Amino acid sequence: MKICEDTCKRLNLYLDNELQGDERAAVEAHLQECGSCASVFKRELSFINAIRECGPMHVAPPALRAKVQETVNGAGPKPVPAKRIVSKAQVRLGLAIAATLLMLLSPILIWRVMNRSPQSAASSFALMAAETHLRHSRGQLPLEVESGAPQRISEWFANKVNFSVKLPNYQESSGQEKLYTLEGARLVGYKEDYAAYVSYSMNSRPISLVITSDSVAHPSGGEEIDARGLKFHYNAIDGLKVLTWSDRGLTYALVSDLEERGQQSCIVCHQGTKDQDLIEPLKLH
Amino acid sequence: MDSVAGDTLNQAALAHIDALFGYAMTLARDAAEAEDLVQETYLKATGAANQPPAGSNLKAWLFVIMRNAWLNHVRHDQSGPRFVELETNEQMDDSGGNPHVVYLRKLEQKQVREAIEKLPQAYREIVVLRDIEGFTYQEIAMVLDCPAGTVMSRLGRARAKLRASLATWQRISRARAV
Repeated sequence: MKICEDTCKRLNLYLDNELQGDERAAVEAHLQECGSCASVFKRELSFINAIRECGPMHVAPPALRAKVQETVNGAGPKPVPAKRIVSKAQVRLGLAIAATLLMLLSPILIWRVMNRSPQSAASSFALMAAETHLRHSRGQLPLEVESGAPQRISEWFANKVNFSVKLPNYQESSGQEKLYTLEGARLVGYKEDYAAYVSYSMNSRPISLVITSDSVAHPSGGEEIDARGLKFHYNAIDGLKVLTWSDRGLTYALVSDLEERGQQSCIVCHQGTKDQDLIEPLKLH
Repeated sequence: MDSVAGDTLNQAALAHIDALFGYAMTLARDAAEAEDLVQETYLKATGAANQPPAGSNLKAWLFVIMRNAWLNHVRHDQSGPRFVELETNEQMDDSGGNPHVVYLRKLEQKQVREAIEKLPQAYREIVVLRDIEGFTYQEIAMVLDCPAGTVMSRLGRARAKLRASLATWQRISRARAV
């Protein structure tokens, strides 16, 4: 019968409270007088109730609730950290040094730290960088921009973070063979603001560089190593090597799982470059 | 908006954290990423430049923010689901204290949750929005940015798939019990 057909078609609308007035009354009247449709209705109601009784399927973890409570309590015009007055040239130079050091220092520092006394606790920035690296490696933090062009990545960060990110094309400028590849970038949350996450790979292994303003994060903890006027902090976190340092208004965290140790690995990465003068002071004697 | 109204709004928004986390889990299927999504949603929602339109449903508005944030961030999802199981769900308890009925109900809920989790993304999302969160078709249309007619048809298909999935499970269970 057509009325049964019409009623069955409207059953979900009725069960979802999407029918009003005459339409709703018509369905109810038919269900009163038609046993077959009433049976279908009862089955549908039972099915939908079974779904609804599943809720809530998740509850927010207490730690998340606490973080959100902090966000909500501190709501209103969000205090934006004062932008450091740093020239583009300075930033570019800083990042060039960062790019150089990130490849140069890790293996050497790791080797040195492995043979030294226990470290003090890692900074929250180092921990965040290590966690971000792991999550990206597991595919849980996809890149928001994928490009091997430093200029493209630098442009993408403009107006997204409260500091200037100008990635240098270090390998070209240093004349070395291309051993690592820029893959892309994304924003990551840190202390209710965004930090810049840049992903590289070397021999198919991920290397992460996280950058924020030094007004937001201060490197601390771990093994301290002074080199070329900068203080580096090295930590081993969850099997990863994490190096943090500040330079020219920015704080960096470099994360990798590279296994190479000692100066030999530096020479592998930087053979033929002009950086041997950077390596020399860091060699073990 | 003055600060008192803003504070009230922010506290009201906090009441939806479980629902938002559940929706984030539906979208991201990963607890850590879901937490990021929730935090980003509140950060955006409580920002001075981002206030709900007058007369709009606060909860639906928060869901819209979350979905937009997710669309901006997620390209690939390789992680499996991780449920934060509730210890008890006594709200709907009309078992009369019969342990066997309680057991069967929990078993049924587990089956239904698993079946929802196995639905394709678009179906899972619409079932959660309608049947778990209780949004109207119009509100779902706003969250998903699609016509209400699409909501109706997609929900119908999602429920049909869920029903078929549960029927299969029940047949297997019966066969094993024999």
